[in-house]
This record gives sequence, C-alpha cells and structure tokens, in this order.
Amino acid sequence: MELIGYTCSYIPVEILSATGLKPYRLLHGEITLSQQGEQHLRVDACPLIKSNLGFILKNQKNFACIIGSTGCDMARRWIEIVKSTTNIPVYIFNNPRTDNFEIYSAEIDELVSELEQFFHRRFDKSLIQKECEKWEGIRQRLIAIDGRRRANPSAISTTTFHKIMNFYHQGRLEEIPYQIPDEISYKPRIFLLGSPVSYESAPFIELIEQRLRICGDFNCGLSRGIHIKILEKSIEGLKKAYFYQPGCIFKRPNIGYYEWVEKEIKATKSTGIIAFVLDYCDNFDFEIHRMEKRFSLPILKLKSDFSFQNMSQMKIRIDAFIDVLASYRGGIV
Amino acid sequence: MKDILTPRERFGMLVIDEKPDRCPVIPLITSHAATVAGIKLKRYYTNGERMAKAQITAFEIYQHDAISIFSEVGLIAEAMGSEFNYPDDDLPVLKKPALLNGLHDKIIIPNPRKSKRLPVYLEAIKYAYRSVGDIVPILAYIPAPFTTGMHLLPPEKFLIETLKRPDGIKIILDTILDVTKEFCFEVINAGALPIIVDPLASGSVISPAIYKDVAMIYEQKLIDYLHRFDFDVILHICGDTSPLLEYFLQTSADLISLDRVNMLKALDKLSHKIRLIGNFDTTTLLLSNPEEIHKTAGMMVEQLKFARKGYIVSTGCEVPIKTPRENVMAFIKAGKEKGWYWV
Amino acid sequence: MKRTYKVSPKKIGLRTWSKQFEKISTETISRYRYYNNGEWGIYLSPPATFMVYGMRELKRLKFDNSFEALRMWGFVFNETERLFRAKQIGKKVIATMGDLGVVPILVMSFPECVPFYPECLWWTPFFKESTELLDTASKLGVPEATCFSRAVVAAFHKKAYFPKPDLIIASTGASCDDYSCVMQTVEDMGYEVFWAEIPYRKSPEFFLNKPKPQILEKTKEGFVYPKILEEHLIREYKRIWQALFKLTGVNNPHRLVDTIKKINTLRRLVMGIKRMNEEAPIAPIPALELMVIEFGNLYGYADFDEWLEIVEMIYHLVKDRVAKGIGVLKKDAIPIAWVTPSADPYLLNLVEECGCRVVTTEYVINQALVQIEEDIEPLRALARAFINASLIGSTEERIKKIKEKIVKKQVKGVLITNMLGASHCAMETRLIEKLLSDVPILSIDVPAPFGITQQIKTRLEAFVEAMR
Repeated sequence: MELIGYTCSYIPVEILSATGLKPYRLLHGEITLSQQGEQHLRVDACPLIKSNLGFILKNQKNFACIIGSTGCDMARRWIEIVKSTTNIPVYIFNNPRTDNFEIYSAEIDELVSELEQFFHRRFDKSLIQKECEKWEGIRQRLIAIDGRRRANPSAISTTTFHKIMNFYHQGRLEEIPYQIPDEISYKPRIFLLGSPVSYESAPFIELIEQRLRICGDFNCGLSRGIHIKILEKSIEGLKKAYFYQPGCIFKRPNIGYYEWVEKEIKATKSTGIIAFVLDYCDNFDFEIHRMEKRFSLPILKLKSDFSFQNMSQMKIRIDAFIDVLASYRGGIV
Repeated sequence: MKDILTPRERFGMLVIDEKPDRCPVIPLITSHAATVAGIKLKRYYTNGERMAKAQITAFEIYQHDAISIFSEVGLIAEAMGSEFNYPDDDLPVLKKPALLNGLHDKIIIPNPRKSKRLPVYLEAIKYAYRSVGDIVPILAYIPAPFTTGMHLLPPEKFLIETLKRPDGIKIILDTILDVTKEFCFEVINAGALPIIVDPLASGSVISPAIYKDVAMIYEQKLIDYLHRFDFDVILHICGDTSPLLEYFLQTSADLISLDRVNMLKALDKLSHKIRLIGNFDTTTLLLSNPEEIHKTAGMMVEQLKFARKGYIVSTGCEVPIKTPRENVMAFIKAGKEKGWYWV
Repeated sequence: MKRTYKVSPKKIGLRTWSKQFEKISTETISRYRYYNNGEWGIYLSPPATFMVYGMRELKRLKFDNSFEALRMWGFVFNETERLFRAKQIGKKVIATMGDLGVVPILVMSFPECVPFYPECLWWTPFFKESTELLDTASKLGVPEATCFSRAVVAAFHKKAYFPKPDLIIASTGASCDDYSCVMQTVEDMGYEVFWAEIPYRKSPEFFLNKPKPQILEKTKEGFVYPKILEEHLIREYKRIWQALFKLTGVNNPHRLVDTIKKINTLRRLVMGIKRMNEEAPIAPIPALELMVIEFGNLYGYADFDEWLEIVEMIYHLVKDRVAKGIGVLKKDAIPIAWVTPSADPYLLNLVEECGCRVVTTEYVINQALVQIEEDIEPLRALARAFINASLIGSTEERIKKIKEKIVKKQVKGVLITNMLGASHCAMETRLIEKLLSDVPILSIDVPAPFGITQQIKTRLEAFVEAMR
C-alpha cells in the first residue's frame, strides 16, 4: 500500500505526506466507475462521489487509509459507504464551513495525532518542515506554470496544466515536468469555474480548448489549492495557511470565494466564464445565478455526469458561446 | 412595477393588516366575464362550468385579483320559490315573487346543493377553485336576507310590510337567513369566500331607519355566522350609502365595498376599523375612454391607497356587461401602477 | 382542560369537520387565542376556513375528529398571521435556520423574541397544491433538483409568509447541504445572516485508531462522540447568545434555565404521546397529526405557551383513548417505521388508507425530542442535547433505534420518503435499505405538489402485501 486517500483541499497534503505515503486526492469522474458506484448509491448522488466509490472498490489494496472530509453532505456520507463496502480504514475530517478557526485547528491536531498513532510515526518539527518545503516548492513550480497559462497570450493550455495537476493530486511529484513547451494561443480567453474537474476530464477540457483558451480557473482538480502559502513551516503554520486559503464556495458566507474569483478573472483578462457543473452538485447549481450577477461576464453552464455522451451538444453550445463572447450583452448561455 | 405576489398572497396580507406589494385590484367583474369569454349570458348563469370558465378567461386577460362567482341577487329567492325569466342575452328577471299574494303564501326551504341555480354557483366555485384557487381568491357573492326578501315579495310590498307587519317580515327574514347560512356553508366547503351583497339595502332604496332596524340586523347575523369560521367578511352595498356610513361600523364587516359615496368621507369615518373597497364610477367605466379612465382611476387610488386598514381598488358596482375590454384594462393598469406600496 | 363535546375517534374529511364545528359554541371559539389577543388571536376554525384561504389539499385530507386536533390545526395554520402579528405588537421575530432544535431555545430565553423555522414552509406548496413558491424559487435561480425547502427562497423574496426577521441565525456544517445553499441564497438576497457552525459528530468507527475512552462521551440516547464537540457547540451558542443580547439589550441566563424547563415539559409530553401511540393496540391518533405534534417541538409554532397547552390537551386525549382501547385505525393495521418526513402530508393519509399504522418515526429531528439536562450548565446541556441530532452523524446511528424495533418485531416494514436530488437522501437511502434489510422497505421519492399518482398507491399496496 502506497497511497493515503483524501478528498479536499482543506486537508494539508504535508501532513498526509508525513506518513511516508503518497497523498492521493480522490478526484475520479468517469462513467463506468460512476456506474459501479451506483450499485451502492442512488442515481441522484454526485457523479464524482459515485466514480470515486467505483475507483476505490477496484483499487482497495492500494490505500492504507482514506481521510474523508465534510466538504459537502455527499462527500461526508460517502466515507460511510466506503466503510460499509471496503476494509479500508477511514477517517472523517471536519472541513471549515464558517469562519470558525477553532474547530479547524482542533481538527488538524486530531488528524495529526491519529496519523501518528496509526502509522507509528512522530510528526516532529523537522519532518513537518521538510514536508512543507517539499510541497511548497512544488506549488511554487505549479504557480509558475500557471503563470504561463495566465499570460497574455497564454503560453500553456489547461489541457496540459490538467495533466500536470493530476500528478500533483496523485502524489506523483517526480513526474511533474520541468520543461513545458510553449502552446501560445490567441483564442478567446475564458475562466473555468464549478465542480471538481476529474482526472478523466481531459476530453472535456480539450473540447473547450479547441476554440477557446482556459487561462484561469478555480476548480478542484486544477489550480484550486496551489495558492496555499505557508509562512510558518509548522503544524500551526499549516493550520493558518490552509484555513485562510482562497475561500471554498461551500463556506458560509462564501463571499471569500467571489472576491478571489473576481480578482482572478480580472487578472487573467478573461472575457467569459464556463461553469462546469456536475449533475446534482447543488452548490454550484445554486450559485450560477449569483455568478452571473456578480461577474458581469457571459457564463456558459455545462452540466455533466462525466459520461461525455453529450459532447456534440456541448460542442454546439461552446460554438454558440463564442458568438456570444463576440457580441456580449450579459447573461447565462 | 412587476407584481411580486399572487392575488391570493396579496389578499392574505391585506386581511392581516400588512401592506402587500400593491393594493389588490378587484373590479366587480361578474357577468361582464360572459362578454369577455364570448358566451351568451344565459349560458353563463345556468351552467357552473361555463360561469367558472368565463371568470377564468377574464382573469387571464385582465390579471385582476379575484374571481367573482356571481350573476344576480335573485338566486336564493328563486330557490325559495320566486320565478324568474331567463333571457338569452340578459340576466334573470323576476317574473313572479314566491309571496306574491302576501306573507301567508308558501315558500320553499331549498336544498342548497340541489335547488334551482344554487348548484350552478357551487359547481362554478368548485371548478374555479380547482383550476386557479392556489393563486387567486374565489369570491362568491351572497345576497343578504334583506335583498333576497325583496325578491320574495314584490319590492314595494316588502317595504310596506316591513313597516306594517314587522313581525311577519321578521319570520320571513329569519327563514331567509337560515337558508342563506346553509348556502354559505356549501359555498365555503366548495372553496369560496362569501361576500355579502345587499344592493337593495342601499340608501337609494331605503331609509337609514329601515336599514338600521331591518337590513343591518340580518347583515350582522350573517356576518356573525361567517365570523365563527374566522373569515374576513366583505359587505357590498350599491348606490348611495352616504347616510349609512356610520352604521357600517356596527355590521362588524371587515371590508366594506362602497358605490356612490364620497370616499374621503368614508376614509375619515371607516378606515380606522374597516378596509375600504371601491368605488370607481361604472358609468364612466362603460362610456369613457381608456386614457380618461386611467387618469381618473389613478387619482382615486392615490387618494385611497393609504387607508389605515387597507384598500382594494374596485368599481363601485358591477362592471357593466358590455364595458369595452380596453376600458377595464385601463382601470386595472391604473390600480396596479398607482397602488404600488413596496419600495 | 374541558372539552366541548364527545365523539368516538375516527378520521373525518373537511365537510364533516365543518358540520361538527357548528356544535362548538361561540364562547368556546373565542376562548382559544394566541398571544392572548381577542381581536385577531382567535384561531379555532375548521379546516374549511384554511381551505378557502388557499390550502387546497385540506379538501382531500382526513383529520382526527377530536376537538383537540381541531385546536391544533387551527393554531398551526394560523402561523403566518401569527408571525406578522408578533411583529405588529412589537415582538422580535427571529428566523432560526438549519439546526432544527436548539437555537429557538436560546431565542425564547430573550424577552419578546419569537423564533420560527422558515424551512417548515416546505409543506406549504403541498398544503396549497401549488407550485407557485417552487416556480418562483426557480425563477430566482434555485435549481429544481433540490429539496422542497427551496420554497424558502421564494418566501423570503415575496415577504408574504413571514415578516422580515429581526435576526437570521443560520446553522451550517454537518447538516443538509441543499438547505445550506438556500440559506446562502437568502443572504445573497440582501438579508443579513448570522452564521453558526455545526461540526460533524464523529463516531469511533470513523477514527483510524481506537479512540481513548477519556476523549469520548456518550449521550443518553447512546451516541458516542468526541468530547471536544461539546466545546465547539458551546462556543457557537455563546456567540448566538451575544448576538441576541446585542439585539435585545437583555442578558439574563436565568431565563435560559426556565426555557429549558418549559421545553422539557413539552418534549416529555410529546415523547409520552409517541410512546402511547407505539404501544397501544389501536392507533390512538393519526400519523399526520402525530407528525405535526412532533415538529411542534422545534419552536412551538411561534407561540410556545399556547402550543404547550395544546399538546397537553392532546396528551390527555391520547391517554384517554388508549385507556379505553379506542383509536382511529383498525386493530389489524400493520405497524411500520417512517424514515425522513414526507413533504406531502397526503402521503401520511394514504399510508394509513392502505392499511398501515406509523408506530415509530425518524423525521431528522431526533435532537428536538430528547430531554435537555437540567442539572448542568445550560449551554452545555443544549450542546449535549443537540449532539443527538439525526443528520450530524452517520446514517447507521440515525436508524439504530428503528433497527432495534425491527429486532423486537415492533415494526414490520420501513417506509423511506426521499426527495430526488436532495443530498442526504441520495447518499443514505441505499445504505438504510441495506442496514434494515430484515423487513420489507419501500422507498418513495415524494413527487411535486399534487403529484401523488396511482403508481405510488400501487407501490404502497404492494408494500402492504409484502408485509402481510
């Protein structure tokens, strides 16, 4: 067993990595996996959750344990299903859902204590410092790559960036390339928002980038999480860095999310937004209307169950969206 | 301003002393609905489903704030034995009162679910309630005992008997009251809010003394019956009721619908206790043009919208059957525009 | 409490109720009033009154024929008016959202403060047989495949279902996500929201190592949890207390002690009614009324004292019926458990018509049913009571009582009502089916208002057949 599974950007990878295992973010989204998950969940469960369950059922032996989180109702309950269908030890981490730092701080202390005991390892100062340096270094490299993606003209596609981020999220840090050739694009620049982008979502990104360039995003599975800046390389420093990272849309109030995204949209000079929303992902479904009001840019909402059966329909909608970008008057497309 | 509330929600707020998005606008669109729906009047008042459909058509076109189930006030008297003619293109006309020869004549105690045209009303209420009752109040106009009495006897005879043999009239009115209550019971259980209409108790027809001693007593009793159910009771009296204004407080009606009355006087005398309804002149509505109607109605609404207990924009009496649609629309538009409350 | 007339228990329709209502004297009608106001506070009316004002489903519902039930329905259906009247007479109206159980106790401990749960409006589209609120919510951008509590967004927009709250306290975290989104949407509409966090109740099996006994605690209901959870909740309750202090200018912790006592009295009565219903050979009260009583524990439908009297009256009614061996259903009605409340009240009627009786329920409000400890510090007592909450822990814990009843053969089947797209339903249902597989289980997606079809009736009949 070489992996420690986890589900959310609020769980510090540095702490997971201190176990000696590779932190593997559970970000699977693929129709056959989803169908396997559906054997244990209703059809109206989140496709990401269903796919992750399908993946776990097939790959149980690779996971020493899974650290689930209370990021959303389904994510939290998913761990129960994992527990009832596999022998993988599980732990549920309380995600911050408001501005209450104390709960999060106590959760991190408990997580550390649990992992130390479970893996018979002491997470001393030097180990944590080493992990912080390692991951911080990686994130700096990713920020630099992202900088090229965000540049005008954009020099790296999100298709490539996604591949690189997959390495990061799967703990395959050594595979993150140092040299990435330019992919300069002058296509219309758009910003991606919405539900997590899964490891298997490449066709979706490629489809968008056939005619557009995604030059920024705030999705789990892409750049969300690389903006965590550790000032103090200790457990206490990790707590602060992770708690005060750019706000999750699930936090209440979620104004921090909007402020961050608004700033990013301006910084990337995006002229439109694509919101990738998974079926039954209530949160993003609820927020679309507000995004439209707040960002004053054309928004294309693309619903998905990861099946990609609607790719041709998506293509038509993206083409129409490009027309809208050319003559923007506002509104969801 | 775009409506935020449904008519049902709007009316609901009014009766609990809250300001809705705007004043409810409820012109008394009764048989005029037949014109709007393009059906003969006779079909309207003899077929419940037709009546309801005509009302719904009018509601869909006008977007006013209530469905009014009504044709004329002889309804209960007819069920009690008075005979009416049914002209094709006009409302029923009293042919032979049940007590034509005097108080000793026989009257029928009707079955409110079966007798004459009472079931027509009930069917209309049920149909309308089923179709649009979630968004709009269904109002059923119920003639008060005094008005029904005037259809059981020849009207002048009824008035003379009221003075000469008050005990005999009282027995008749008590009987009518019981029948009316039973009909109200059916109306309520079909889904409509009863509105008491007493056009023949108008100051244009009777003296304030007769109103106070006879008509009002039975209005009060009927209102008491409806208050037991905790209904907000609307009382409508046509014509000039200026001399009766202060009596209206005694009826314990919750809303009063007025016709030929100086509304500023009514505002002064009644609005601290009763919600006001009215009172656009129906002749103007029939004969004037949309621009003029819009202007005049708008001025009326601006004067009355801040009545303390609330105000419903309405016509003083029924919208005349042949009123041009655009005139009614102009009236409703003015009511909605000028009656807006929310900022 | 004196009753006005005697009838043998049965379920009756709206028209029969109207007839029966005629026997009630005017004096009796005027005796029952909320906020003790004789002008507008009288609430004793037959179902027909509320039907005339738009509650269309009442036309086809069947009700308990007791005076006590009439009083209850009259009181409950007057809630919208009551909230507006509260504001008109200078009370402070506080919207408590999302926690379902504890925050109203804090609110009620402040003078002239009336709490209410906007989420209870989820029944309104069904009672009205109207999609108006749901359609309006959609127009405001709320997705359709979410819990019916989305009607709340429309209600905040329309301002016709409750007055503008003086304070909105929204609890989020280990709770329903759909509703968390609803609350966020309300804030986006310009309402100021005070957020409180509900942490997850982590049971020992969700630790990697066996937790040390000294870090754990156990509720009287048997839920094991990390002690620190209490501290987290207490801290949140202190913040809420401060917000209420700021609003009212009053800070009197003794009132909290008194409120807890009152709340406990209500909860004892309700648990007594539930227990009698469970144990009696014949159901003493219909499932629909029982559900309304159970949910009254949340906040007393905005006049707690009056509600307490009503429940006390019903308690004596049920006790009397049980003692006499009489009830509202047939003796051979099949006992079932009900998991997750139905947004459509008609379903509760229908289940009884098909030959079932509901003997035990898990309506996601376990936290509002338990006794609050009176011999410890009050905020801690509230935290310890809330920790029993249905939705903040695992599904297995949530249904363990039902499992026990299945083992004891007290229930012969389980009915689960879901909402398509509602987050916890999607995740829990299969697991519940698996955990309770010893008895027949029927899982129904509650359709939109006026949407119960023959297909659902047929499924219910098949469910009954399977249990027989």
